[in-house]
Amino acid sequence: MIFENAAGSVDATVVRLLGTLSEAAAAPLEYVARWKRRTGRKAVGVLPMNFPLELVHAAGALPSLVQESSEAITDGRSLIYEFYCAYSRSLADQGAKGRLDVFDAIYAVDHCVALLGALDALRFAIEDRPIHLAQFPASMDEPASRVAVRERIAEMAAALAALTGTAPSAAALADSIALYNRDRALMRKVMDMRRAGTARISARQMQAIVQSAMVMDVAEHIAIMEQLVPALAQAAAGAPSGAVRLFLSGHYCHAPRPEVFDMIESCGVSIADDDLFTGYRFIATDVDATGDPLDALTDWYFNRNVTVPCGTRAQKTVDGADTLLTAIEASGSQAAIILLPKFCEPHMLYFPEIRKALLARDIPFLLIETEHEGLALEMLKTRVEALVETMKRGVAAH
Amino acid sequence: MNQPLQTPAPANRLTSTRAGGKLVKDYWDNIFTARERGATVVWYNGAALNPIFQAMGIEWCHAEAFGARLAATHMEGPAQAMGEEYGYLRELCSYARTTLGCAVLTRREAENPASTAVADDMVLASRLPAPDLIVNAYAGCSTGQQWDEISYRIFDKSLPFFKVSYPLLWGNQPDFDYIKGEEWEAAARYVADQLRQLIAFLEHTTGRAFDWEKLREAMHYIKIAGQLRMDALDLCKAQPTPATFWDWVACIAPINFLPGNQDLVDFFAGVKTEIEQRVAEGIPALPRERYRLAFDGIMNWNKVGWLANKFAANDAAVVCGRYTHTSFWHEPHLIDVEDPLLGMAKHYLLCPFNHNAKVLGQLLIKDCEKYNIDGVVFHSTRTCRSASNGQMIMAKMAQKAGIQTMFFEGDVADASFYKDAILDTRLEAMLESIDVKAMAGR
Ligand code: SF4
Ligand code: SF4
Repeated sequence: MIFENAAGSVDATVVRLLGTLSEAAAAPLEYVARWKRRTGRKAVGVLPMNFPLELVHAAGALPSLVQESSEAITDGRSLIYEFYCAYSRSLADQGAKGRLDVFDAIYAVDHCVALLGALDALRFAIEDRPIHLAQFPASMDEPASRVAVRERIAEMAAALAALTGTAPSAAALADSIALYNRDRALMRKVMDMRRAGTARISARQMQAIVQSAMVMDVAEHIAIMEQLVPALAQAAAGAPSGAVRLFLSGHYCHAPRPEVFDMIESCGVSIADDDLFTGYRFIATDVDATGDPLDALTDWYFNRNVTVPCGTRAQKTVDGADTLLTAIEASGSQAAIILLPKFCEPHMLYFPEIRKALLARDIPFLLIETEHEGLALEMLKTRVEALVETMKRGVAAH
Repeated sequence: MNQPLQTPAPANRLTSTRAGGKLVKDYWDNIFTARERGATVVWYNGAALNPIFQAMGIEWCHAEAFGARLAATHMEGPAQAMGEEYGYLRELCSYARTTLGCAVLTRREAENPASTAVADDMVLASRLPAPDLIVNAYAGCSTGQQWDEISYRIFDKSLPFFKVSYPLLWGNQPDFDYIKGEEWEAAARYVADQLRQLIAFLEHTTGRAFDWEKLREAMHYIKIAGQLRMDALDLCKAQPTPATFWDWVACIAPINFLPGNQDLVDFFAGVKTEIEQRVAEGIPALPRERYRLAFDGIMNWNKVGWLANKFAANDAAVVCGRYTHTSFWHEPHLIDVEDPLLGMAKHYLLCPFNHNAKVLGQLLIKDCEKYNIDGVVFHSTRTCRSASNGQMIMAKMAQKAGIQTMFFEGDVADASFYKDAILDTRLEAMLESIDVKAMAGR
């Protein structure tokens, strides 16, 4: 997408800043390697979906959320089966190929059966460094869960202190929390502008902004975001070109291929909002900056699932389908595309509930199953075009 | 290799397990009438919480077990079709989508019994009594835990619902091992605390006091039955083996969810006696045992007989397996009958899908040594990532220990995922390798 200022010239600042973020998002391990060379400090690879990055940051290391690689899956096939989701297979593959050796340790807190399988596979692929699981209970309703999460966070803090030689002190944690809150707020501003139609930003670019925040040093990311937000606001948004507004939902733990976004947008659609992990889900919830930081990180885990409920959690008091309906309506979207990674168990379990809710509200939607390789974009395009036609006619069809 | 005969001699299955089949049938028949009897019914998934329900005086329906029963009796079709109509994709855990299909059918039946006019083949799938409460206690697998989130929603979020959470036995600490280390002890205490909270929840929901004496009594019988089962399994060290894995599969339902009482003890005493007799009289499970194999993975409920015949036809005695030998009250010494909750919590944590791959590999190799196993058959279960997790690593560990391995793709409750020819070819190849190794060792 080209950014034009009032005079019609390309806004080079926006392009440059987005270029830097996109580069980190597209080549995260290279970014980590450069960062380590530059700082001489340690880097911890963390896994989605609820990892408190602040903890690693406060221990003086770089927390970098391991992304799905676009490389073909080869060596990883000897660690986990082909009927696992793309992310877990890619994780095992990256581990088997030594790509994750850039990290001094790998940490995870989440409970998804495929993710745990991949993490276990990494223990065999990367034998010489800590692969730490501090499992947060996925059930959010019981008082015992809160106690357990608080204990796991404290254990992680101790393990990180042993790894880096720097205990994440309360003061350091408060600083880290403030930084990550600031970064999240800046990213939310961009999303607000997208929703309001005051900044024209493609789904690919929006994802690069969030994905790079998962990967990069937070201070560096903030520095770029502080330039990008005003620059985007200044760049003439132009009218949203009468395009049909659409909501993207799904992908609980990793980034959809940007080509899918490009294909969708090429059908005369503008993405008004999303609840993707590499989108609003990741940045929606701040950590309370007051009080005990470990308590605040514990609360954050529970609050996140209220703001944007995730199918990988078990919580009877919130409902992802209801939140989705509210978000679709608030964004003025006329339809939704559900992006479901093939073999993603939690999403497959929740999909009928989502479908039921969308049908009940007469919101047109399309289910797209994404894969690591071999996405039939042309075929999918035909389906998206059909959805767009439906929306234009104002008829709900599925 | 040894060629299968044209008409293979049938395996000599245990006869004592038939009594278990009768107990299980009676149990389900009783559950089906719970509504008419005015009983309180809990639907639960995961760990064998039944002694707690038994002591609470409520009737329990293990949803997974019902899915397994449907698949084992080839009655899973209508439930799965209902699941598909509801929106479940075929790659989703077939256990979950079968049983959730039942939940949708049960819900419809309960709402409007006159109008459903269910077809004959749907009758069983829709016969579960609608629950009064839901309890989830699924270790290891996130799908198992989330499945009841959906059950809860199918019943309009209106039922009392309690969840027990388990940490995967991961091993961050250096002192961690199977049933060892502070991480293990802490996990057990954490689960035992949740069981106490579950009991409080049941008391609150039913308005009745929990009967601790009844729990001790149930656990007294379960501990004895569990020990009898393990003793009987041990007897299969004999060569040729007096019973096979497929006989043990027939014993899963009784040990997993039947009431803890004298009948349960009598059943396992009967099984053990039959095996002792066979050992004393030299009666083998297979007419010609040539290979001794281990089976890893979750059960293939709609293919149990088919698989048993296939291995028997190749003179391959499947002697042990993860699902039968390392689960279901399999460490009875951990149960303190006087104060049973901690021991129960430990068993729940020892679900065969709640270990890390290294421990799984070690347990497998230990059983291979114990039962003198030549090769391991890995059932890579298409829709169960929990049972599939770690299998490739276990296979590498087994190969390193000099044990042959093979994989075949199947499923827990969806017959469409089998590829018969691949299983045949791979089994033949593994048995040939075992022959070659045996010849080289002569
Ligand atoms: S949430 Fe879905 S995509 Fe992510 S690891 Fe789990 S199964 Fe895979
Ligand atoms: S995936 Fe496997 S372990 Fe998980 S609920 Fe289904 S059958 Fe059970």
